[in-house]
Amino acid sequence: MTASSSQELAIAPEVAVAPELPEIWPPVRRRRGFLGFVLKHPTIAIGGLLILVMALIAVFAPYLGTVDPTALAPARRLRPPSRDYWFGTDMLGRDVYSRVIYGSRVSLIVGIAVSAVACALGMMIGLLSGFIRWLDAILMRVMDGVMSIPSILLAIALMALTRGSVRNVIIAISIAEVPRVARLVRGVVLSLREQPFVEAAVAAGTRRFMILWRHIVPNTLAPLTVQATYISASAMITEAILSFIGAGTPPIIPSWGNIMAEGRALWEVTPSIVFFPAIFLSLTVLAVNLLGDGLRDALDPRLMRRI
Amino acid sequence: MLGYVFRRIVTTIPVMAVVALLVFSLLYIAPGDPAAVIAGDQASPEQIAHIRASLGLDRPFLVRFVDWVWRILHGDLGTSIFTNLPVSHMIAQRIEPTLSLMVLTLLLSVVIAIPMGVMAAAKQGTWVDRVIMVLAVLGFSTPVFVIGYVLAYVFALQLNWLPVQGYTPLADGFWPFLQNLILPAFTLGGIYIALIARITRTSMLEVLSQDYVRTARAKGLGFGTVLFVHALKNAAVPITTVIGLGVALLIGGAVVTESVFAIPGLGRLTVDAILRRDYPVIQGVVLLFSFAYVLVNLIVDLLYTVFDPRIRY
Amino acid sequence: MGMNRRDFLTLAAGAGAIATLPAPAIAKESETRVLRFVPQANLPNLDPVWGTQYVVRNASLLVYDTLFGLSSNLEPKPQMCASYETSADGRVWTFRLRDGLYFHDKEPVRSVDVVASLKRWMARDAMGQVLKDRLDTLEVVNDKQFRVQLQKPFPKLLLALAKPMPNIAVVMPERIANSDPFKQVAEYIGSGPMRFRRDEWVPGSRAVFERFSDYVPREETGDWLAGGKRMELDRIEWQVIPDAATAAAALQSGEVDWWETPIADLVPLLRANGKLRVEIADNLGNVGILRFNHLYPPFNDVRVRRAVAMVVSQDDYMHAVVGSDDALWRPMPSIFTPGTPLYTEAGGEILKGPRHWEEAKKLLAEAGYNGEKIVMLVATDIGITKGQSDVTADLLKRLGMNVDYVATDWGTVGARRAKQDPPSAGGWHIFHTWLAGLDCTTPATNIALRANGRKAWFGWPSSELIQTLIGQWYDAPDLAAERWVAADLNKAAMDFLPYIPTGFFLAYQAWRNNVSGIVKAPFPVFWGVRKQ
Repeated sequence: MTASSSQELAIAPEVAVAPELPEIWPPVRRRRGFLGFVLKHPTIAIGGLLILVMALIAVFAPYLGTVDPTALAPARRLRPPSRDYWFGTDMLGRDVYSRVIYGSRVSLIVGIAVSAVACALGMMIGLLSGFIRWLDAILMRVMDGVMSIPSILLAIALMALTRGSVRNVIIAISIAEVPRVARLVRGVVLSLREQPFVEAAVAAGTRRFMILWRHIVPNTLAPLTVQATYISASAMITEAILSFIGAGTPPIIPSWGNIMAEGRALWEVTPSIVFFPAIFLSLTVLAVNLLGDGLRDALDPRLMRRI
Repeated sequence: MLGYVFRRIVTTIPVMAVVALLVFSLLYIAPGDPAAVIAGDQASPEQIAHIRASLGLDRPFLVRFVDWVWRILHGDLGTSIFTNLPVSHMIAQRIEPTLSLMVLTLLLSVVIAIPMGVMAAAKQGTWVDRVIMVLAVLGFSTPVFVIGYVLAYVFALQLNWLPVQGYTPLADGFWPFLQNLILPAFTLGGIYIALIARITRTSMLEVLSQDYVRTARAKGLGFGTVLFVHALKNAAVPITTVIGLGVALLIGGAVVTESVFAIPGLGRLTVDAILRRDYPVIQGVVLLFSFAYVLVNLIVDLLYTVFDPRIRY
Repeated sequence: MGMNRRDFLTLAAGAGAIATLPAPAIAKESETRVLRFVPQANLPNLDPVWGTQYVVRNASLLVYDTLFGLSSNLEPKPQMCASYETSADGRVWTFRLRDGLYFHDKEPVRSVDVVASLKRWMARDAMGQVLKDRLDTLEVVNDKQFRVQLQKPFPKLLLALAKPMPNIAVVMPERIANSDPFKQVAEYIGSGPMRFRRDEWVPGSRAVFERFSDYVPREETGDWLAGGKRMELDRIEWQVIPDAATAAAALQSGEVDWWETPIADLVPLLRANGKLRVEIADNLGNVGILRFNHLYPPFNDVRVRRAVAMVVSQDDYMHAVVGSDDALWRPMPSIFTPGTPLYTEAGGEILKGPRHWEEAKKLLAEAGYNGEKIVMLVATDIGITKGQSDVTADLLKRLGMNVDYVATDWGTVGARRAKQDPPSAGGWHIFHTWLAGLDCTTPATNIALRANGRKAWFGWPSSELIQTLIGQWYDAPDLAAERWVAADLNKAAMDFLPYIPTGFFLAYQAWRNNVSGIVKAPFPVFWGVRKQ
């Protein structure tokens, strides 16, 4: 992700800025190198950095002073944060710090996997139905059908079908997200279809696939990026909600969602059990969204088309 | 236009049938068994089998489904396995709280979020933009139930301004009704405020960079006029889409909010029904959701033509 | 809030029409005494013969009346019954109903209603089935009297009629009681002290009970289900609050008056609030259960069950269930509830003292366990089962067993545990639950003890010795004899291990200071409760 964005960024400074509207497009001071990048896209820098930190935490979880996150010790339950238990212990005496650190693995995987699966499927369906009119009716009715069931309820129903596991949680959340992506992509396609440059391309006899690829796909990227960040963020939160309802990842695999879900009844007594995973989850989601916002600005289709 | 509305409604009926079939078959293969739940912890396997037979749950899937569709066509949604109450009655009891919560949340979100988004877009890149966006992002990076607990703790337990939980019907007075809904609406609204503000900003930026806006600006129209007359109107399509999507999302978010604030709404009814496998209730509710969804999206699509005359049907 | 005025007037008028009844105390609308109660779970129905959940039982005790009622010293006492006679050989019982009993539809209670109700109940209840097997005739003598003739004496007859352990022998009108015992009744009409407001019922959220002004309590003071059930409240509103944190907040802010099942860990918080009282709900408490599937390896081998029992630490289980408060639990190397007449630790050594890990591992190897998957069903939406399951998962892992932790909801566990298929083909090896301590006071009501193979409760243990001993208890003429049987039974159960008791635990109930008269009982007792 970082690699592709820096590619775009290499081009971005070349963009001419319309001089007549300074209050909308403030002049860009050209700087090169890392500092220039950070200054121009602070949201990408901050978001990316935070995500990188979370990813490192997830990868190196066993080396970060953690103990077995599932080891029970009922004798030392519900301890407040202390030197021995940085984030305190939960109702089964498990170390909340270790659980939160290991939990980053599950939450990140859920976030990434869901947005990848949902965007890939949704984009395909959206493009097809936006551009091929006869297919549109069928695809969109099917999407409507899936979508008319609120996503969380659909995910709960899907989870009721099977047993709690990380893979099943990913599948259940993805299925519920696909129609949203499809609709968004289709919406963009619909409004672009009537644009002069597309109509011109059609009139010039350009092949459909080429039109899709050259004119439509690039224009879906910006909204799709925003949507993808939203999906991975909401997937992590949906995972927490599924746990809240008791239909999420199995409790023996710690995820931020089920740590909070387990501690929620006691949040007035031992807030640390809910507080720390909530901070981690919020920070990660925040980071993903900042990154998305930054990318969106950098990938602005209007700017890109000029190049 | 009328032809379009008519076509939409006609093409929608098969969708609803498909959804019904899908959901019904989905839960049919699900491993739960309402008879076992009814019989309780004490029951023997024989007793469960008896109950299952008396509920008609031992009949083949297709027979039960055809039976169900046949009844629907006669306007009968069936009877709940657990409560023996008509499903239509159970849904009717719970429509008001959910609908009230959703309408209030939506109003709240739109009123707060659109000015936020417009403002952020107008001041793009400044600290105003950053603060608004960070606030918006925080809104949806915090799990609904955490927001709910914190709001309840501060405003209900500590300050004693509002009740902790429960629901008062509108018939019992507007203020008591509103009192019970304010905290849930803000809880549920967090996500939608964030979502709508972000999309508003994104779309506004897109529109603001269009040539005609620059032209309007160059013609000497005030910035405010440009912003609200030209830009917002053109940004309305994606914003409307998101609000339309939001309605379905709201029902989902309502599940958690209704649990946290003990509101007797449709979300909780559905989750309880799924977890207990109360098939007639699940089917009835899903049917209702698809109906509501179709309706909302029809309205949204019609709004597209109002906001963006380039879109024709 | 408050009673609907028109309904109230109708009620009052109806009461006045029946001249023989004492004039009802007519409270003004503004003085309607309303108690708001948070029950342990949603009330799904009100047919205690058809559905056996505890919450259904608890609501039924308000709406329906029983012939006999259990007192707090676990003795059956007459309730609807005015008097009874027994023949010398103990085979003929004649019961007489007391005067002034009315159903909520204003019809008098007659023996024909009682007989029909008992027939429906016998078809479903375990003790009822034993009665049915011994029954010769059950007949109406006249409107007030009915007679039970037995082929064989049944010393536990009164207990069977009085017991509040599901299924309870409630009395309904004949037209309703004549329905299929496996189908839910269409109307909820009883003769108890409160009538159910079906029109205000929102399943999953709210159930309302209104004082039945024609109810005439017995003269004696109320004691659990025995004696006079005098209602000091006009209206009881059950508010279902599934979220414990919310229920705690609602109690703190005074939006509800009485919370049946506060979580132990929240108790210090509630105690810190000067307006609340928190007490042990019921000295009979609850018993945690680790249940094996006896049909398939490895737990069809008693050595494997013993290996697990050898390392079970009731300490760990109870901490996972009740939290840090050690006053709330007790070890129990027994199948009977601690503190009750039949309690014995005979043969319970396997669950006591230091844990024998090495021996257990040896026994496991000897039994030929070779790493096959142990399918454990876990209802993650129920705290008590989840807590126990987490401890078991950890325990089996340390014992060298390969645990397949199937995390799912209670609906799924309920269905899957009923399957007698092999664990690899949709069946299971282990699940957890708990029984009310009240249920474990006799061998007849402890469902997990029954060992009649595939007809037994889920897990299907098969032990002739246990079955014979349960039969002996039914015929035990007095407490001494019962105790004798109980010791043998406990030895047999600790040897055979149909299940492992994971400990005895107490629970709290909490209420606002302005409520008084709440007693300790295995079910909420609303009569005698006042609210200022």
